[in-house]
Amino acid sequence: MARMKFLCDSGRCIECNACVTACKNEHEVPWGMNRRRVVTLNDGEVGRERSISIACMHCTAAPCATVCPVGCFYQTADGVVLHDKDLCIGCGYCFYACPFGAPQFPQTTNYGSRGKMDKCTFCSGGPEEDMTPVEYQKYGANRLAEGKLPLCAEMCSTRALMAGDGAVLEDIYRERVVRRGYGTAAVGWETAYGPDGEGNTYEPVHPPVRS
Amino acid sequence: MLIKRSSAKPVRKTLSGHLASTITGSGIDRRSFLKGTCTAAGGLAAMEMLPGTVRKAEAGPMQPNVPVELRKNICTHCSVGCTVIAEVQNGVWVGQEPGWESPISQGTHCAKGASVREVVHGERRLKYPLKLVDGTWQRLSWEQAIDEIGDKLMEIRESSGPDSVFWLGSAKFSNEGSYLYRKLAAFWGTNNVDHQARICHSTTVAGVANTWGYGAMTNSYNDIQNSKCLVIVGGNPAEAHPVSMQHMLRGKEINQAPFIVIDPRFTRTAAHATEYVRIRPGTDIPVVWGILWHIFENGWEDKEYIQQRVYGMDQIREEVRRWTPEEVERVSGVPGEQLRRIAQTMVENRPATVIWCMGVTQHSVGTANVRALCVLQLALGNIGVAGGGANIYRGHCNVQGATDFGLDVSTLPSYYGLEEGAWQHWSRVWEVDYDWMVSRFASKKLMETKGIPTTRWFDAVLSDPEQIEQPDRLRAFVCFGHGGNTVTRMPEMVKGLADLDLLVIADPHPTTFASIPERRNGTYLLPACTQFETSGSRTCSNRSMQWGEKIVEPIFESKDDYEIIYRLAAKLGFAEEMFKNIAVEDSHPLPEDILREMNRGCLSTGYTGQSPERLKMHMRYQADFDKVSMRATRGPCEGEYYGLPWPCWGHPELRHPGSPNLYDTSVHVMEGGGTFRARFGVEREGQNLLAEGSYTVGSEIEDGYPEFTMAVLRKLGWEQDLTPEERRVIELIGGENIDDVSWQTDLSMGIIRVALKHGCLPYGNAKARAVAWNLPDPVPIHREPIYSPRPDLISEFPAIPDRRDYRLPQLGQSLQAAVAQRNLQEQFPMVLTSGRLVEYEGGGEETRSNRWLAELQQNMFAEINTEDAQRLGISHGQWVWVHGPEANSRARVRALVTNRIGPGTVFMPFHFSGYWQGESHRQYYPEGTDPIVLGEPCNAVTTYGYDPVTFMQETKVTLCRVEPA
Amino acid sequence: MRRHSHFFLLAPLLVALALLFAMPAAQAQYANEPRPDAPTAPDQVQIYNPDESRLVGSVTIPDQNLAVLVQPEGRDWRSFRRDYLPWIIGGLAIIVAVALLAFFLIRGKIRLHSGLSGRKVLRFNSIDRFAHWTIATSFLVLALTGLILTFGRPLLLPLIGNSAFTALAQAGMAIHNFFSIPFVVGLVLVVALWIKDNIPNRSDVAWVKTMGGMLSKDGGPHVKTGRFNAGQKGMFWSIVLGGLGLAVTGFLLMTPFAFTGIWGMQVIHIIHGVLAALLIAAIIGHIYIGTVGMEGAFDAMGNGQVDENWAREHHAAWYEEQVRKGYADSPPNMAQRPAGE
Repeated sequence: MARMKFLCDSGRCIECNACVTACKNEHEVPWGMNRRRVVTLNDGEVGRERSISIACMHCTAAPCATVCPVGCFYQTADGVVLHDKDLCIGCGYCFYACPFGAPQFPQTTNYGSRGKMDKCTFCSGGPEEDMTPVEYQKYGANRLAEGKLPLCAEMCSTRALMAGDGAVLEDIYRERVVRRGYGTAAVGWETAYGPDGEGNTYEPVHPPVRS
Repeated sequence: MLIKRSSAKPVRKTLSGHLASTITGSGIDRRSFLKGTCTAAGGLAAMEMLPGTVRKAEAGPMQPNVPVELRKNICTHCSVGCTVIAEVQNGVWVGQEPGWESPISQGTHCAKGASVREVVHGERRLKYPLKLVDGTWQRLSWEQAIDEIGDKLMEIRESSGPDSVFWLGSAKFSNEGSYLYRKLAAFWGTNNVDHQARICHSTTVAGVANTWGYGAMTNSYNDIQNSKCLVIVGGNPAEAHPVSMQHMLRGKEINQAPFIVIDPRFTRTAAHATEYVRIRPGTDIPVVWGILWHIFENGWEDKEYIQQRVYGMDQIREEVRRWTPEEVERVSGVPGEQLRRIAQTMVENRPATVIWCMGVTQHSVGTANVRALCVLQLALGNIGVAGGGANIYRGHCNVQGATDFGLDVSTLPSYYGLEEGAWQHWSRVWEVDYDWMVSRFASKKLMETKGIPTTRWFDAVLSDPEQIEQPDRLRAFVCFGHGGNTVTRMPEMVKGLADLDLLVIADPHPTTFASIPERRNGTYLLPACTQFETSGSRTCSNRSMQWGEKIVEPIFESKDDYEIIYRLAAKLGFAEEMFKNIAVEDSHPLPEDILREMNRGCLSTGYTGQSPERLKMHMRYQADFDKVSMRATRGPCEGEYYGLPWPCWGHPELRHPGSPNLYDTSVHVMEGGGTFRARFGVEREGQNLLAEGSYTVGSEIEDGYPEFTMAVLRKLGWEQDLTPEERRVIELIGGENIDDVSWQTDLSMGIIRVALKHGCLPYGNAKARAVAWNLPDPVPIHREPIYSPRPDLISEFPAIPDRRDYRLPQLGQSLQAAVAQRNLQEQFPMVLTSGRLVEYEGGGEETRSNRWLAELQQNMFAEINTEDAQRLGISHGQWVWVHGPEANSRARVRALVTNRIGPGTVFMPFHFSGYWQGESHRQYYPEGTDPIVLGEPCNAVTTYGYDPVTFMQETKVTLCRVEPA
Repeated sequence: MRRHSHFFLLAPLLVALALLFAMPAAQAQYANEPRPDAPTAPDQVQIYNPDESRLVGSVTIPDQNLAVLVQPEGRDWRSFRRDYLPWIIGGLAIIVAVALLAFFLIRGKIRLHSGLSGRKVLRFNSIDRFAHWTIATSFLVLALTGLILTFGRPLLLPLIGNSAFTALAQAGMAIHNFFSIPFVVGLVLVVALWIKDNIPNRSDVAWVKTMGGMLSKDGGPHVKTGRFNAGQKGMFWSIVLGGLGLAVTGFLLMTPFAFTGIWGMQVIHIIHGVLAALLIAAIIGHIYIGTVGMEGAFDAMGNGQVDENWAREHHAAWYEEQVRKGYADSPPNMAQRPAGE
């Protein structure tokens, strides 16, 4: 089985936001919810400015899953971290724990719940049956089930953002770095997957059973 | 302990479901019916990833009886021409997939392209025709709208003549729409017809065409992958043409190519530069000459190339001599050492490509800027070489095509100009009597006089009619697909707008023009659909034509441009003549027929081989084209270049492959090779203007030669190669003077065919002109902007003397002197420049109405350097007033404190409007059509200043003052 | 004449370079030695140290929390939430409970030396009691629902299953949020009613020295205390300050990011958890002493009337004041103990 990962090559990312709107287009993500975003570092500093597209990194040992008080997260056989919106209580803990700010909530301030958490699904839906309307309504499109990869990466204007099997991504990135002679670690890679290949072995976590 | 799941209700209603129910009346969910068809293998390969890492689809389509249709169109935003693949169900656009097969975009998009589906959701589009009655919008039927508009136009024509109507077309038209609109203006009887090219790259077209023959990007986006050095001047492709950056960054990576960015602003493109040069806005020529100074000084120029293919380089040398490193630094602020490094880098990494955009063109010296860059490339021998070239990134999706098809005040389609010969040629193509054509105009003289350009239309409304070289001032303005906040001096523009008798806006959105409260009557809004709702071809910046297929029927009551133009022509009484060769079905002209007529007439640019059939074939077999060379390696298009980039000579049956790189002599002409165009005679002041010892591979004439006419054919003894039918047509055209029939007017295309047969370019083989003697500045020289921050330099580098052109007076030196005399730079101590954001485009009405894009940029802002902000007591995000030096203009915007912009300079994006001097104009939009995001237009504070050749407005440098609000 | 006359000079070099690249070993070498004009400035390395430092940039969208690119602190917060918080809360509560049990076993119920007099004196009027029970009930509810969120996943979820537990947690969270209102109301009332009697004074020192005589079986020398003794004052201030802290942090948690960023929220959450742990432990002690721990104590908050003897023994100064004011009868003879006691 492949271990799905994202990798954003800051040597290529131009902050065009294609990944952001592709995501909105594909999943009809409402205003104010940002499953994916582009962050610019060292804005305006000559030679140091870089941009990175970031979303849920589908971490190995995902912090969100650990802190969830109701245990609504699971990790698929492909390594994709998903959650069950029917179980989510909107407490917001996952956002505090997430190193990448991935979880999004429909309500910014609340009295009670922040609403069901929403985040990048690696275009692979949720616990509902694949490619059903109910799955689309809750989690968006399930491209993985269609044999496609996440649209953000598929549409990335400069092929900065890549999605797919982690080992393959690493090879591509390494080759790029060798070819062009610059580029260091991919941002967030180690935070999400641990050092060198650690994240390639993991135990899938089964979806919670709803009674 | 079972508790029923309570949250089974959808978290959010999907928009497609919502849309489906509003449009088709039945709820359809996008993914319910998706086929399991899998493009992942191709996708993965294109993403430089291996297939087999993705699970195959197991679940099939949910409702197999509702099929998904894939339709292919082209993104309607910038000129890169990304393929849009639409998934359509029951006539509803339900999803978008990457167009992996496109050789240009290879599946990718930018923020705009990835959200085009929202355009056709159309929540904020114009839904039906409207007219403004005493300040309120009233709905009316199409018939009534066309009737009322037509009657008013005829009334104006009666009392003031046809030149009192200004026809503004659009770079958002298809080629067919552009051509038809130009034809409409011609049949109406005026040359007052223009479009966005005036305000973005008119100076490029003028500068480049006057240097080597054609006004277009010489190479292609893909070809940049062959570059050994990239120089980007006054351009920010990372925001304006993001998808082009994939080719540029690949070139940078594969070739280890230096990436040099010259710009006053440290842009997102510059973030990827290996060398960034910050210049003072408006000093491009000193910087270019400063680079060339080092090249000449060290003898790095390509001497053989110059001797064979360039005219007048010695005069350039004279001018360049004064631009020593010290002098350049004094004027532009760029250290001499840095320019030496750049010169050396360009020399050591050949070929270098030079890429430029509006930072170069939108100046009162725009044409000269362009020409200086051309000369730089000529000196290095980089033109006509794969990996080299002058790569001008055009702005809108079809601005190249619209320019080519003559949406311009100074020419008929295909750059034939306005002379009698041009009108006769087109009268023959249109099969109308030339004399009838003349009778449509106020006079033969006005028929051959350049019209009023879009940068100055309001001056032609407000001026004393005595000052305008036409019978009366402008009284009506018919505007198709054009923003209202795109030209400088908006306070004047608003006055002009208020004074119009009639304003007609045909657009998917109401535009800024409709939201000006000064107008209370006589405005009509016609809902035009987008190119996704019709079919037709568009020309990308690299001259490739792509055929877009209709994705969905026009939404609401909107109609496509063809039909609106047809209805207007019918109302105005010349539809029969105008559509003689074009099939019209139920008021809808067939775009294929329009293209066929264009193929017949556009000989001079080689727009003849691109028949609708060939274009559709290319779209269908996109996968067969190589991703770098753009040449098909297999399939029915084998050997052809993608989109048949013009010139694509002769009849379609000739199967010319198109010309991927212009002026490339290393390739046979039938393989797309070319020479510099012999457009300016054969000799000047005793100097040979034809090429010397340079010719395309396989040419039977191994030297320079003039353009082909019957006389030349005869002289060469190639006359007998003409078929009897070709000869008959030539005789018909030439009459008495058959010798005068040239390749440009020979409708049989026989002369072209014969020239090609002998390996020659129909347009001749000449030298490029480093000196363009017909321009106001034959050798580009530095001139300070009108509103110069350096009045101490204006005596040395004065603006152009006051003059007249385009039926209007143009101020130059006198205004510059007055500005300096009033010491305006003390009251307005900052330099203001403007530019683009990736999320928005042009006037921004369409993109600011797209919620997926609008969310990303919710506020109009001005970028201010940290030092300046500190000095002025301005903090990040705070409201500030930006004051302009003309008409007490001011704009209230948010401060974006950043070092992207240099000290002393302010940057504002130009996409915003809907606020005016701090006041919202939201209530003036027709209900439900106001864009989501409104903001102050940056052009509210920009000022006077026009390029003498094209009347391009000077948006890129003026003065301003920033104060906390 | 060649266009690039120096090409021939370069050609051998280029061939050599090409050969070099053909060797795989050379690739690695090449990666380490980028050309001088390639943007491999060392500062890039500085940017990419996500494991060691947070990365904050800028975004164009309004939500500035999203300008934080990487915040490894999330993992620290996770470990607090996962590894420490349950032990702090549970551990403290257990320690206190065990200590009290031990105390009860050793010392037994604190009884009145003089037994019950049968005569009552009003200690807390209805407003006092309303305030107490408002804050008490809401605190209990808050604590219970809070504990569901903290301990539910390991303890309850395996028992009742995901759906049921989500429903419980969801309800618990809503209840937790809504009961913050009565809690704050109670808190305000309590402060208003009792703060003047809870200002520490000299007698408290003496009380603390002997721990109010609780430790000795015979009751020891009772200090003449006012309305509240030092222990009660401590409890008062614990509740007031702890409650205030919980209320403020709770409010901030209910309005996430309105006043602070991600790290602020993490800290606030930690404070809320730790305060809750402390207060829960304290309240366990309070409940003990108010019920099984001390004879006659519960009546104070039960019907508001305490036995005169209880008042005299525990709050002599206050009792005398009540007598002086005429709210209580003058002290009867100590011998008049009712039969059966």
